[in-house]
Amino acid sequence: MIAALARPGTSPLHRIAAAPKLAGLAIVATVLFFVDEPRLLAAAFAAALVVARSTGTRFAEIGRDLRGAAVVLAVLGLADWWLIDGPTAIAVVLRLAAIALFAHAVTMTTSTAELTEVLERIFGPAERLGLLDAARAALTVTLALRFVPLIVEEANAIREAQAARGLDASPLALAVPLMVRVIVRSEALADAIDARGFPPEGARRGAARHIPARPPSP
Amino acid sequence: MTTRDISLVALMAAVIVALGVVPAIPLAGGVPITLQSMGVMLAGLVLGPRRGAAAVLVVIALVALGLPVLAGGRGGLAVFAGPTAGFLLGWVLAAFVTGFLAQVFEAPEKSTPVRTLQLTLAAIVGGIVVLYLCGILWLAFFMKMGLAKAFAVSIAFVPGDVAKAVVAALVTVQVRRAVAIERK
Repeated sequence: MIAALARPGTSPLHRIAAAPKLAGLAIVATVLFFVDEPRLLAAAFAAALVVARSTGTRFAEIGRDLRGAAVVLAVLGLADWWLIDGPTAIAVVLRLAAIALFAHAVTMTTSTAELTEVLERIFGPAERLGLLDAARAALTVTLALRFVPLIVEEANAIREAQAARGLDASPLALAVPLMVRVIVRSEALADAIDARGFPPEGARRGAARHIPARPPSP
Repeated sequence: MTTRDISLVALMAAVIVALGVVPAIPLAGGVPITLQSMGVMLAGLVLGPRRGAAAVLVVIALVALGLPVLAGGRGGLAVFAGPTAGFLLGWVLAAFVTGFLAQVFEAPEKSTPVRTLQLTLAAIVGGIVVLYLCGILWLAFFMKMGLAKAFAVSIAFVPGDVAKAVVAALVTVQVRRAVAIERK
């Protein structure tokens, strides 16, 4: 498994339960989309910086986490400047940067286990209607979040290997080995989950269920 | 769904998210050209209709949670009220139809070019025709743009999306040669 973005800590944000944090994030993100006033957005951005720093993580580290998002934001901002106008570009960049920081603050202070638990609760009503299995649905969403950095990591590894063999960076030559490698890793992960006794009961076909559950490795 | 199904669905959802990090080209009006629609085609082509659509639903759940997983760092409930919501929700149907057609065309004995062509067709029908229908209807009626204007705004993206369908088909044929995945 890959390292989660969550960092242990005792900051105020760490101590708030996951559900209110996620609800707050959804509300903030929604409200910010209806704000166009640059000064208000600048204030939101400043607030987001304070909130992100309050988790105890240094700005340098936060910057490293959000480097990818920053590149996308820069491209978006330049394009908006060119296609629409300066004030719009500033508003768009401030809004998205504030949301990204708030979202990252939640991610940094919420463990995967907490997130899964909240998702299970959200999916609960659908389960009672017989639409889905809450535990499995929550696991799927959490796994997806953990797979994103894994894909980036594999992409970098393949690109380095190709560069070492003197190959140019070609998207198609990257896509095929990347897909194959992450599919293989996802199947290995599924087997590891099965070996640890998930799901607790039910529709697992063909897998031995009497294996004593071992505590998951850290 | 077995644990492998869950893992594959989560993986394709992550692929769609990761493709959003590849810099997008935003066009005026706020509808960006992104590689994420190629991820939707891939989900259908690689996993089949039900798991492909499930992968898209996972992405939509992440958006609703407020995570910035769409191209350009967009996310949050506001997206569902915006101009591109029709395309976002249309992804579910697009992945399903793409996967369904890929299943219908399933024929391992055919040559690689034929299979690539068939999968391209599946991706075009699901990922372009069906998707644009959802997106254009949303723009026309919920955004009160009118059918003609909604059509004109969207049609500019078709050439790029056809190219994405071809790439998705090429990648799928080679990936499925290396790993055996049943479409379901």
